Amino acid sequence: MDIKQKVKDLLKEAKEQVAATDLMHNLNQVKADYLGKKGPFSGLMRHMKDLPNEEKPTFGKAVNTAKQELKKAIEKQREVIKERQIQAKLEAETIDVTLPSRQFRLGNKHLLTQIIEHIEDLFIGMGYEIKEGPEVEIDEYNFEKLNLPKNHPARDMQDTFYITEDTLLRTHTSPVQVRTMLNNNGNKPIKIICPGIVYRRDDDDATHSHQFMQIEGLVVDEKTTMADLKGTLEIMAKELFGEQRKIRLRPDYFPFTEPSVEVDVSCHNCGGDGCHICKQTGWIEVLGAGMVNNNVLKASGYDPEKYQGFAFGVGVERLAMLKYKINDIRDFYTNDQRFNNQFK
Amino acid sequence: MKVSINWLKDFVDVDVDIETLSNLFTLHSAEIEETTKLINATNLKVGFVTDIKKHENADTLNVCQVKTNEGTHQIICGAPNVQENQHVIVAMPGAVLPGNFKIKKAKIRGVESNGMICSLNELGVDKSLVDASGIHVIKEACTLYDNPLEVLNLDDEVMTVHVNPNRPDLLSIMGVAIDTAAILDKEYHPKSYTVNEIKEENPIDITLNTPYCPSYYTRVVKDVVIRESPRFIKSRLIAAGMRPINNIVDITNYVMLETGQPLHAFDLDSLEKEEITVRLAKDNESFKTLDNKERLLKEDDIVITSNDIPIALGGVMGGADSEITDQTSRIIIESAIFDEVHIRNTQKRLDLRSEASTRFERGIDPNRTKLALDMCASLFEKYADAKTLKNIKKVDNIKPQSTEISVSLEKINKTLGTSYTKKDITQTLDKLFFNYTTNKTTFNIIPPSHRLQIETYQDIIEEVGRMLGYKNIPSSLPETVSVGRLSSYQIFKRNIKHHMTSLGLNEVKTYALIKDERVHEFDKDSQRTIQVNRPMSQEHKTLTLSPLPNLIDVVKYNKARKLSDVFIFELGKNYQKDNEIELLSGTLTGTYDSVDWQSSNKTIDFYLVKGLLESLFEKLNLNQITYHPTNAYKNCHPGQTALIKQGDDTLGFIGKIHPKYAQTHKLEDTFVFELDLKEMYNNKTAITQFNEISKYPSITRDIALVVDDKVLASELLESIKKASNKTLKTATVFDVYHGEPLAETQKSLAIKLTFGLKDRTLETQEIEEQVALILQAVKRKYDAELRSI
Repeated sequence: MDIKQKVKDLLKEAKEQVAATDLMHNLNQVKADYLGKKGPFSGLMRHMKDLPNEEKPTFGKAVNTAKQELKKAIEKQREVIKERQIQAKLEAETIDVTLPSRQFRLGNKHLLTQIIEHIEDLFIGMGYEIKEGPEVEIDEYNFEKLNLPKNHPARDMQDTFYITEDTLLRTHTSPVQVRTMLNNNGNKPIKIICPGIVYRRDDDDATHSHQFMQIEGLVVDEKTTMADLKGTLEIMAKELFGEQRKIRLRPDYFPFTEPSVEVDVSCHNCGGDGCHICKQTGWIEVLGAGMVNNNVLKASGYDPEKYQGFAFGVGVERLAMLKYKINDIRDFYTNDQRFNNQFK
Repeated sequence: MKVSINWLKDFVDVDVDIETLSNLFTLHSAEIEETTKLINATNLKVGFVTDIKKHENADTLNVCQVKTNEGTHQIICGAPNVQENQHVIVAMPGAVLPGNFKIKKAKIRGVESNGMICSLNELGVDKSLVDASGIHVIKEACTLYDNPLEVLNLDDEVMTVHVNPNRPDLLSIMGVAIDTAAILDKEYHPKSYTVNEIKEENPIDITLNTPYCPSYYTRVVKDVVIRESPRFIKSRLIAAGMRPINNIVDITNYVMLETGQPLHAFDLDSLEKEEITVRLAKDNESFKTLDNKERLLKEDDIVITSNDIPIALGGVMGGADSEITDQTSRIIIESAIFDEVHIRNTQKRLDLRSEASTRFERGIDPNRTKLALDMCASLFEKYADAKTLKNIKKVDNIKPQSTEISVSLEKINKTLGTSYTKKDITQTLDKLFFNYTTNKTTFNIIPPSHRLQIETYQDIIEEVGRMLGYKNIPSSLPETVSVGRLSSYQIFKRNIKHHMTSLGLNEVKTYALIKDERVHEFDKDSQRTIQVNRPMSQEHKTLTLSPLPNLIDVVKYNKARKLSDVFIFELGKNYQKDNEIELLSGTLTGTYDSVDWQSSNKTIDFYLVKGLLESLFEKLNLNQITYHPTNAYKNCHPGQTALIKQGDDTLGFIGKIHPKYAQTHKLEDTFVFELDLKEMYNNKTAITQFNEISKYPSITRDIALVVDDKVLASELLESIKKASNKTLKTATVFDVYHGEPLAETQKSLAIKLTFGLKDRTLETQEIEEQVALILQAVKRKYDAELRSI
């Protein structure tokens, strides 16, 4: 047989073997078998000495070319096997991505905390500080310095838990205003928000709670007006109930403010057309406010001839109930996790 | 205050509907709580009963023939007082009565009935205001073509005004009318009453022996005839929510409602002497009030006496012995003013609140005392055939209001943020009957006597603000610029809430007042507690020493609803006298995380809770926290509870609840923790400087030490740290082994020691030396043996 044909046949045979190999170590074996020192190509080269001299270079070249070609085929097959292995691995590792996940616990701040922090952040942005104070308060700070002397008829508006004759559970967060004013010795402007727990002697039912949360605001300086109060409350109403909200002020009475107003927000449920939430009026009563009564300024060391300002107080539960259409104030204190978990 | 619109129209030409009026009144004066029709029924007619026969199948029913302007109708009626030849109110088929009660043709026990003869109660008037035992018989002259509601003066509407303490003037129709006129920009038409005095003189001598009755007026009338009141008085009283009784009682009430001045009528002939003295009661003086109850009086109560015998509790209630009866002929009409505070104390103590005492308590217009008296006498003359004796007998110590309130236009605008003109202000003051003089732009104002609560210039500004309309005030923001921020402590608290929720705990809020028996459940020091005086219930009586009893209840509540994994915390308080200690408290039970189908889950245990807290401590830069076993908490497991300390400061505790406590509350394994916020805040460190990261590798050595089971890991680690020099960076336990070949009382702790220096790599020999030192030390202190691993 023609020796060249032999090279061809050997290459063909080797390539077929390579193509049939599907494991990496088999491929290495095939490579060693054909291209090793004892392999058939080396064997062919040993025939070279029998060839006439003029054929030797051509033959040598042909064998080398065949070897190169086989090497290429092996490397190509190596890639194929690698790819196959990866495919197999992928297949083996395929999972049902729709099975349930590992559950990470998600904790939530209480809805009242969320609303308070929301309001705090809004007012911090407008230059307010946050002030807190004790819940066990003295009568003097809770009532007397707020223009509510003993026997004042308005004391009936806030039925009080007394601890002793002079100490009580605060009925509003206004004593924090008194404490702040006293601390300032009557000569510094004030811009504060006071959130906190307050108490009233009420029987608990869907709309009454003996404990609830309140946020009060106080601004005292030399020129703050009722227009400033209106603008500030408008911003708060829009922030909490949406950009479209309007507010209206109407006369009311609080001993600590004069003029005093009740603030209604246009109904966020019906947009002001009238629905069951706003009792067909288009307006929802949200908070009380007014210009700080001079007696309050005086009692805490501020000269009413020089200083003036506004105050407002809002019930946090009421805001949450309106915003999320919650019907029972007790839900905030029951802590049914199915309730708490709704507010992320 | 329930205000009849018809009554209001006596004083003001109200030309808007009640909804408009109520809306305007709410925006300018006081909130209108409700507007209603006095009678809310349709298709009512005057009927005349022409014939009555007993129903053949029912003893209590009558078959009536009733004539209306549309013919004669057969109507079945069960009222005992239905009679022939009566005018009655008939609801015809198609009528709708209150409660959406529709009247239809019907057969009642086989007999046809074409409508209903009504009582006023069936037309919506409250039972407490009318006789509801039978149908209403129309006694007034009328024809079949009349609207029965017009005949009865019941075609009226009522608005309910919410009266705040600063507006006692709105407890009178006159007061509401004055504001209504001002709001609608109409004239206010005052009424006047003429009294036709006879020659006979009012015989009453009056003495005021207490400053708490500053003014006392009387008139005497005689020959009164007690009978029913005229229709319009009855209807207006019903509209105001008062039950008509007889002409004398009704007229005194009518005058009170119109003027705001309560009156009292005494039967003059029941007095021992024609003399009245007002004084304070003697302690324990006894007095029988109108309701026939014997009352023990106190020195604080104002009594009206005659011949030193109490005849009325001034301003609060009359006496049974001087009450008007059917035989009464001579009456003393009292129109007086009593001190607000005394009235309030008396009515509160005796629980005697009335329309009269409510008005005295709020304050009375001194200029209406005489007006009310004359109005009453005049109506007695007209509707009780009374003759009025000559002269008013009175003592009046009230000085007319003379203090001027000064306010400038600039001050008004500077307060409201408006730019009102002088004319805006004067128009407002005029409408409200304020007297004033002006000096350039300053107003010197004397408010009218019905507005005694107007005392300061701020009150005047309120009047201007509300009348000109708060909607006309512009919107702006305060000009004062200041730094708005949270304090560092507030940021700290927010970080805690943020971190705890990130770890998967839900924040809860619970009541600070709890049951007294439960307050000490997680208190190790038997601290003093604070109770409220008059709790609403025993459930909410004592302020918490810790919110944990509440958190346990929250777990119970949720478990009862099949929510068995409960991980909660609260920022609550330990309420001490003069010190409210803020706490972070938590309760955890159930599975912390799980994938059911992989059967992998992590049920809560001590070390999980400890890990959660340690991640918090790390976040808050609280270093060198130590744990000390404690059995000080009676409701905690003595073997699984630890105080958490930093140095000598106790930050709080962590523990498993005691099995007995768990059983009582039907709980599974439940863990609690509590930390003192201020202690944590004060002990946290702040990063002041960046810590250079070592370029040289650290080297670890693992050792296993066999020690007595009672030796705490923390103690062993502490002595390892003490024994070594600063090349030892950390020592941590990574395995605990009990069992063969160790003795039962032994355990093996595998500890990883990490060595390193910042400026060079440690030599092996240096490390061996350190390990040798460590082994020596633990051998000496704990007899710890190295075990090969």
